[in-house]
Amino acid sequence: MSGIPEITEDQRDCIQEIVNVAMGQAGESLACLLEVFVQLSVPRIRLVASQEITTELQQLVGGEDIRVSAVRQAFYRSGGELDIQGEALLIFSDTSFHDLADLMSYEEELTATVEQELLLDVSNILNGACLTGIAEQLDFELGYSPPSLIGSSLTTDKILSEEQLSWAQALMIEINYRLENRSFNCNLMFLMTGDSIRTLFKAIDDFLDEL
Amino acid sequence: MAIPILICDDSLVSRKMVQKSLPKDWDVSISLAKNGLEGLEKIRDGLGEVVFLDLTMPEMDGFQLLEAMKEEGLKAFVFVISADIQPEARSRVLDLGAMDFIKKPINSDKLSTTLKNFGLL
Repeated sequence: MSGIPEITEDQRDCIQEIVNVAMGQAGESLACLLEVFVQLSVPRIRLVASQEITTELQQLVGGEDIRVSAVRQAFYRSGGELDIQGEALLIFSDTSFHDLADLMSYEEELTATVEQELLLDVSNILNGACLTGIAEQLDFELGYSPPSLIGSSLTTDKILSEEQLSWAQALMIEINYRLENRSFNCNLMFLMTGDSIRTLFKAIDDFLDEL
Repeated sequence: MAIPILICDDSLVSRKMVQKSLPKDWDVSISLAKNGLEGLEKIRDGLGEVVFLDLTMPEMDGFQLLEAMKEEGLKAFVFVISADIQPEARSRVLDLGAMDFIKKPINSDKLSTTLKNFGLL
């Protein structure tokens, strides 16, 4: 596997704008669900090599002891000449997650089942909107599996398996939603093979060429 | 005479998409701005009779630009083109004096319909 592809300023801007539009749609769904106004910020985009992923994640959540919950969802391109395969990972810090539960007015005790349901609901909204949005704007069809929970209260080094780290490069998308008095942020990460990332970038270049 | 229009968005791709969606036969002179501050200066200079405005931008965002225009009594047809499609975002910008709110992604049909609704085409 060759190294990580370079990302040009235009490509970054393009992914950012596409994700921004997609996250706007997700933000609206989230606002409806939570009945609050969601403040959006521009997502930050970076490409990360596999050996850097765990360190990068630690920095994002604020340290190696920080506990997080993580949800994964596989996606693949259907019907294209070139394959795109990957996994979307959504990572919530535990504190962020409690604020979220609070907003959903879960007054009763947060049982593991309720927590899991809430995580999957929110992941479905965010991931679904993001993947659909990207596919629609770049004009290709993406299929995806339902989201599943990797675990709760994990340290960041437990999120990815050795197997995933052996092939994956990551397109990291940092998403921040601020909800009135509370902050809720999560990190979305697309794990893809180098080939898939190149195919995605090719689609982005085509999109840019048409502008 | 060409109408001075201003496209104010921090994203290059997004500015291009707005430009591409403008009606082909519309006689305009186009200015571009990458944030609210740049946009405000160009509006002061008379370069934005019609303004296409993004909301989420660095330095000064779209809401702040609308507020500043209100304070300075600057008049323009402002159309907000935004990825933030919450109803509250829409009502906030309309209260601040924007003409209309167009959801991203923009395309020529959406833009023409809006411009026609306001008698600009």
